[in-house]
Amino acid sequence: MTQRQMQMRLGLGAIIAAAFLILYAIPQWISSPSNVRNIVLSPLFWPYALAGFTGLAGLGLVASGARLRGPDTLVNEPVQDTGAAWMRLAGMAVIMVATMFLLPRLGMVLTSMLVFVATAFLVRTRHPITALVCAVIIPLVLYAFFAHVAGVAIPQGEILRLP
Amino acid sequence: MSFLDSLAAGLSLVGNIEAFLALFVGVAIGVVGGAIPGMSATMAVALTLPFTFAMQPITGILLLLGVYKGGIFGGSIPAILIKTPGTPASSATILDGYPMAEKGQAGKALGMALWASCTADVISNLALILFAGWLASFALSFGPPEFFTLILFSLTIIAGVSGESLLRGALSALLGLLLATIGLDLVYGTNRFTFGDPNMMGGLNFIAVLIGLFAIPEIIAMVWHPTAHVGKARSLGKNWVTFAEYRRCFKSIVRGSFIGVFLGSIPGIGAAPSAFLSYSEARRTSKNKENFGKGEIEGVAASEAGNNGVAGATLIPLLALGVPGDVITAIIIGAFMVHGLQPGPMMFILNVDIIYGLFIGLIVSSVFLFLIGSVAIRGFKYVADIPKRILIPAVLVLCIYGVFAVNNNIFDVGVMFVMGWVGYLMVRYHIPAAPFLIAFILGPLLEDNFRQAMLMSGSDPTILFRGPITWFFWSLTVLTIVAIARAGVRAVKASRFLPEDPTR
Repeated sequence: MTQRQMQMRLGLGAIIAAAFLILYAIPQWISSPSNVRNIVLSPLFWPYALAGFTGLAGLGLVASGARLRGPDTLVNEPVQDTGAAWMRLAGMAVIMVATMFLLPRLGMVLTSMLVFVATAFLVRTRHPITALVCAVIIPLVLYAFFAHVAGVAIPQGEILRLP
Repeated sequence: MSFLDSLAAGLSLVGNIEAFLALFVGVAIGVVGGAIPGMSATMAVALTLPFTFAMQPITGILLLLGVYKGGIFGGSIPAILIKTPGTPASSATILDGYPMAEKGQAGKALGMALWASCTADVISNLALILFAGWLASFALSFGPPEFFTLILFSLTIIAGVSGESLLRGALSALLGLLLATIGLDLVYGTNRFTFGDPNMMGGLNFIAVLIGLFAIPEIIAMVWHPTAHVGKARSLGKNWVTFAEYRRCFKSIVRGSFIGVFLGSIPGIGAAPSAFLSYSEARRTSKNKENFGKGEIEGVAASEAGNNGVAGATLIPLLALGVPGDVITAIIIGAFMVHGLQPGPMMFILNVDIIYGLFIGLIVSSVFLFLIGSVAIRGFKYVADIPKRILIPAVLVLCIYGVFAVNNNIFDVGVMFVMGWVGYLMVRYHIPAAPFLIAFILGPLLEDNFRQAMLMSGSDPTILFRGPITWFFWSLTVLTIVAIARAGVRAVKASRFLPEDPTR
């Protein structure tokens, strides 16, 4: 992605987001009492104003992107295998969704152990044994601190119940 | 309450082993966190925040301040030894620090970095003690219109100077303000973007948003590109900094410290620009200007004084006005809020013991920084050896525990993950995260003060121009926008004179 592409995409994204907010999201998802006499004091005023400014910022980004010249150098460092990189990103998203699903069921300690192992192998660790040892120790140490020192009710889950 | 009474109250609050231990541990965590490339002082402070929930307010805040100060210095160690700044504020230190390391003078460069950091830290802390109270007493006369214009000015400058482009900074701040509208309306109590979910009615949890924004994108970036390269650490060499060298650089250190204090007290500018400005001023006035960039010890001293001079000064707007000066102080304001404290002028009346306790702690932190820094310089190779691909999953697990601990709520973990992806997109699209977070914190204050002003005046907007203070902040806001827009237009014009890329 070049500087110009980035600026244009951002600008268009901001304009679309502003249009979505003004035309759909704010009327649909913000409720305002019918007896508010002055629009300035209404709960709708601030979101409308911010959405309007977002649209203006988007227009500004498109305009400045269109005026950009000069060498089209890439703005981000490229990776060697883009396909594999996208797969890893998808894997990370799956880990996060799975975390949300498993936290109330397996408890925080077991889920964290699984998350640790999955993430370490996703980033292709060169120390698998160390990763496994850390995956067990770190969640247990954190559990000990938060549950017994900070007094936080860490979810225990159905399989493993720690003291 | 007289000065001596306030001092005694502060001393009684921090005069215990826990407070000093927290400060010591904080500085140590900060130095290690700052010294690990890819971790940064910001991330170290964000990850330490959940551990402060169980502590007394003053102890927790001192722990975070220790991490902040340690982190800013810690970043200079890898900058000098492996040419990788541990934190963005240390980027200027590379210019002369690494060439010195290449010449076998790494120990000398690190020693000077430590001396300059500690000197600047002391000057910065003294500036905080002298000016914060004065500014707070001035701010006591502020009403809603004055606070509205002050926050608007702060947001303008933060959005303008935090990134490469004013428009991208403004977009970031606007997104932060929009996110802050989620929850129940401040005046009428109606739903705004809550989708009927009770978890959303109190708004999004601040700590989930900040950890999501500053720690998770690092993890996602590591997943995208796992083979992050870390250079080989150089040996310290036999040379150590001498008193004569410190004396030779003293003028640059003091000048850099004052630059840091000045830039740090303006919300939004932060440590990295201060370090570069201090460096360029030292080069401009030095007798050895031709040596700068080739391993000049004065360059290391100036850049380290510049970035550490900011550390105390950023607390001036935080404590006196309740406006965070940079991302780290935005995180520290979270610690205040978790403990039911609201930084700002009223804090100097209601919680003067905490204010003076912090001042005492900050003075002691400079001594701890010197002691821990001396040890850390020699122990860096052990820190550099921590495999990053083990560290990153550990950070993820720490984030999950930390965010859950805020409200005992799994929903917050989900918010953190979503914000992590938002933060990663912001990194990819070069949208600065600082205006987003600071706008998210200041958004409710901005809206609240605006609506209070409107209620006071019967919706007459002229109340926003009611006196010299409001006019002063409006003028500063306009000047800032004009200055930053002019700089942007110049940059675009300059790019038009560059030759067209034939591949396009």
